Amino acid sequence: MAYQLYRNTTLGNSLQESLDELIQQITPQLALQVLLQFDKAINTALASRVRNRVNFRGSLNTYRFCDNVWTFVLNDVEFREVTDLVKVDKVKIVACDGKSESTQNKSDK
Amino acid sequence: MCPAAFRSMLSNTGPVAKLYLSIIDDVIESMRELYLDEGLEDRVLDDLRRLWESKMMQSKAMEDFRKNNINSSNFVLQLPDHYGQIDRERTATVVIPASQSIHRFPVKNNSETLATFSLPAGLAYPVQIPAGVTLQTASGQLYKVNVPVVVTQAPVGQKPLSLHIQKAPAPQSTAAPPTTKPPQQVEPPPAPAPSVSQLPQPDLPPSPESSPVQQPQVPAAGATQLPVVPSPPAEENEPSAQPEPVNYSMTSSPCSQLLEEALAQTTQLKSRDIDDILKEVIEEERVKAERRRNLPPARAQDQTEAVLAGLDLDYSYSELSDIVQLDGPADNSDAEEEGGAPLEENDFLGIINAEAIKALQEGGGSSDGNSISSSSDSEGADKLSAEDEDPLNSGDDVIEQDIPDLFDTDNVIVCQYDKIHRSKNRWKFHLKDGVMCYAGRDYVFSKAVGEAEW
Repeated sequence: MAYQLYRNTTLGNSLQESLDELIQQITPQLALQVLLQFDKAINTALASRVRNRVNFRGSLNTYRFCDNVWTFVLNDVEFREVTDLVKVDKVKIVACDGKSESTQNKSDK
Repeated sequence: MCPAAFRSMLSNTGPVAKLYLSIIDDVIESMRELYLDEGLEDRVLDDLRRLWESKMMQSKAMEDFRKNNINSSNFVLQLPDHYGQIDRERTATVVIPASQSIHRFPVKNNSETLATFSLPAGLAYPVQIPAGVTLQTASGQLYKVNVPVVVTQAPVGQKPLSLHIQKAPAPQSTAAPPTTKPPQQVEPPPAPAPSVSQLPQPDLPPSPESSPVQQPQVPAAGATQLPVVPSPPAEENEPSAQPEPVNYSMTSSPCSQLLEEALAQTTQLKSRDIDDILKEVIEEERVKAERRRNLPPARAQDQTEAVLAGLDLDYSYSELSDIVQLDGPADNSDAEEEGGAPLEENDFLGIINAEAIKALQEGGGSSDGNSISSSSDSEGADKLSAEDEDPLNSGDDVIEQDIPDLFDTDNVIVCQYDKIHRSKNRWKFHLKDGVMCYAGRDYVFSKAVGEAEW
């Protein structure tokens, strides 16, 4: 089982909303299976199909480490890619352990 | 055009959009077998896919997908204007032979529906689109091609707006071109005029003006399929030019009406002023308070005492703090809820606080941060002043942000960490496989390295 972390993305939230709308036609168990399949697909896709690197710099407002999950809130951050520069006044980073080999089942907001 | 060419269309889109579409494909295809095992029709899975894709298209996350398609040359496929309302609960099949009537396509506004498709720069006209291919308009609406289509370029100089319905008498073609009222919202594109040619004589004139397809409710209403016309009989050499009737089918979705209602409600909500909302909240609370007062008649005396005590209590509290009471000073809902005994305690505390503060003021205490102006006389307050002076050094307090608000933001990065390093107050982040949502737009990264100072 892959991280359920990515359910709180635009893609994940729209999938959950769509499943909620179709809940009369599909069973909750089936909807859960769809979400689990989504977790696998997005984890695989991000690991294999994305190949870009980003640098960022800002000031750290808060940090939290609980259940092997880091949560940061940064202010006045600049994200720099090769071509783009994005400035953000406030951003929250939720990060699960990327080196964990055991199958984990984390869900974060 | 083979499906590979269609895939090349995707190469012009942003990388995020491509990734998302591929993830959607993976998930839907992997669930297909499971759905069949459960005894569900393919239609349910298609509905899920349509809903999901429409939501993604509506969100800004796919904005780069739409942006990249704007500059491409567009060809417009216009649906017939006398497409009427169809029963949403049935699958309606529209046949467009020369002599039969055409069902209406349900449109929100009464104007025509223009479907603008962007053509990749590398492809030249004529373009063949095989059956079963899904096309996407510049605005994100999806259409499925039911029959093979050939898109050809109309001669230069042909008027863009003159779309005419002509029932072609050509024996080999069973398709009639759509009606040609000029579209209401039209923007002339810079590219040369492409067109979908349907018949040799009444060539569908190029409609370089493209108008946005109707609102998102339509895609959400179910599978929308174009009444795509087969190639003109003049191009007989093309193997795909089959004189088949054009099928237009639309499957219903139970959520279409819900979606429309939700959108209508959200627009109404957005238009309301914050002040109006606050006023309503205040009114509701007052009504509730009045109901509570009216409920137990046997406790009238207690209530009056409570009212008076509450009034005094609130008065003293309002003096003590700068917090604005939305429910007004006369409200005593809290006091009534707690009952008689706790209320007395509250009174006592309120008096003590007032006395203590008075004593501090007289003693020149360090409560300068609070704008207290209690004028009540208090005896024996000197005894309390020494005990309460230290906890009331409110000037030393550090104002902290609320924790829930601190973590509440729309800009979220969801990722995994390789390494998090800290040296004194300098932090270094090594992140990977992340999705960032900023201002509604999505960004993805395989690696992110950052620094921050706490």
